[in-house]
Amino acid sequence: MKNKIFLSFLFVFFIFYILFFILIESVRAADMKSSTYRIKYANINIGAEGSTSPGYNLSTTIGQTAAGEFTSAGYTVKAGFQYWHAIVPFTFSVSDTGIDLGSLIPNTPSTADTTLSVSFGGAGNYQVTAIEEGPLRTMAGNAIDNTACNGGSDTCTSAAAKLWDNNSSYGFGYKMADEDIPQTYTDCGSNCYRPFPDATATSPVQNPEVVMSSSNVTVDLTSKPKDIVHQSTVTFKANISPLQETGSYQTVINFVATPTF
Amino acid sequence: MRDKIFLSFLFVFFIFYFLFFILAKVIFAQQITLSVSPPLIETTIKPGKSILIAYTLQNLADPAVFKVKILPFTPKDHSGHIDLKSEFEGPVRFSLDNSVIKMNEPFMLKKEGQQLLLRIRIPEGAPEGDYYYTLLAETQPPPVADGVVGTAAKATVGSNILITVSYNGKVDVKGKIFSFDILPRIKLGNLNVFDSNDKIPVALTVENEGKNLIKPQGEIVLRGNFGERAAYAIIPQNVLAMSKRIMQATPSAEICGTGTARCAPTTLILSGFFIGKYNLSANVNFGENSIAAMANVSFIALPLKVILGIIIAAGAGILIVKKIRD
Repeated sequence: MKNKIFLSFLFVFFIFYILFFILIESVRAADMKSSTYRIKYANINIGAEGSTSPGYNLSTTIGQTAAGEFTSAGYTVKAGFQYWHAIVPFTFSVSDTGIDLGSLIPNTPSTADTTLSVSFGGAGNYQVTAIEEGPLRTMAGNAIDNTACNGGSDTCTSAAAKLWDNNSSYGFGYKMADEDIPQTYTDCGSNCYRPFPDATATSPVQNPEVVMSSSNVTVDLTSKPKDIVHQSTVTFKANISPLQETGSYQTVINFVATPTF
Repeated sequence: MRDKIFLSFLFVFFIFYFLFFILAKVIFAQQITLSVSPPLIETTIKPGKSILIAYTLQNLADPAVFKVKILPFTPKDHSGHIDLKSEFEGPVRFSLDNSVIKMNEPFMLKKEGQQLLLRIRIPEGAPEGDYYYTLLAETQPPPVADGVVGTAAKATVGSNILITVSYNGKVDVKGKIFSFDILPRIKLGNLNVFDSNDKIPVALTVENEGKNLIKPQGEIVLRGNFGERAAYAIIPQNVLAMSKRIMQATPSAEICGTGTARCAPTTLILSGFFIGKYNLSANVNFGENSIAAMANVSFIALPLKVILGIIIAAGAGILIVKKIRD
């Protein structure tokens, strides 16, 4: 009997607890006004003072403090990120610029790796894009087409990676692994590839595709060792059919690393 | 005699042979490591004026042939990433004041730093407004060996240049809060519900409807139902003209879903043990002579996992007691 009373009490308590939070008035995003008030002020001088401690000295400036300077000189310039005192310059590295896929044997995929590294102590956010200057091609004009992966439901595009483990599916493509890689690779799995966008394509025109990016100030200066370098591995893969013309097939992949603004 | 000559020849041959392999340098694959500083330039210039910016381009790996060029860009998304245009456009004129290095012309850079003196000139009569460019330093790809299938990688590193052209230094500040929201696990009507131990992702997007870039500043304040308060400063990042940007406050991160869901950039990630109703307010200032904006959003945190655990434990307990009684 006591248990029943206790359980009933517990049940009623939870019902009231949940109802309380469901029925209370919700507050939604509003642009500086409501039906009962309006806040209007021109400026807040939150950055007027420097912040100091024995360990650091942080300077901030807000507003048009350089107006006088502009009138006299005709210009004002700010270099770097105001919110981040840069000690590590924006650095981009490609571990191997000559990617050799060797002598290809029909129906036997060949792969080669290179590592992309970005340091961004000052920049924080960045992206690396990639585009090929045409498909793998011989001087005579024969080409290895860009991969469509396994085909069917596993047909990849320059934006979406798909499974490519069938040795009868031919072409040239790449996959990404490790840090800051596109989500299509993490969603799809380790055997997923996609083709590079083609800079020579005209209909439609193809734009560079992001291969590494970070949307946040992810540099963690408290970590040991300091996490100031983000790395990913690009694996290039080519697979040819027995009908592929012999020759020296080559192309150029352009990796462009830019910090955010 | 002949044997002696032959032996001497053999001895000298082996000496040279070993010396060749001992003294020969080890050759690694060609590596490219480029850095450019500063990564960002913001400038306001009068038409008819020019400025000189000193960049440091460093080649930290093997000697390589470089080329410097400038291309305009547009904002790609709401996270500050850029879309480079393929051709130069706009009224701004760029040139290099270096004696030997010219724009769009190749030059050799050994493992060292090179100062690039970039002159930015605004011609008389240039229309007022913002112009956004990226200084690009690109390597020229190495040749691929004959007889093999391969690709050559070209590495390009960029630094953004944000130029405001103005006759009097006044800028058009028209910012507003586009959205201020919480990305909830559970949404019950208008209620954002979290488990007490969940991380709370908050997204603040600012829209710039003006002709010039703005740099919003302010804070996000968390208030709890027991009077607790925490303030998080918004990092003053550039929001380009006629664009939106998800602002950042520390600590921020990306929340990634599974399947086809994309990673959602956020402004702030709140972590800790929450219980009850919480209110978040964003106070954003867009600059001098502009109206500050404020937005609110709330969420409820309940110990859902604990409650579920209690319910399951109670259910299991009741079943056990019933079975024992039977």
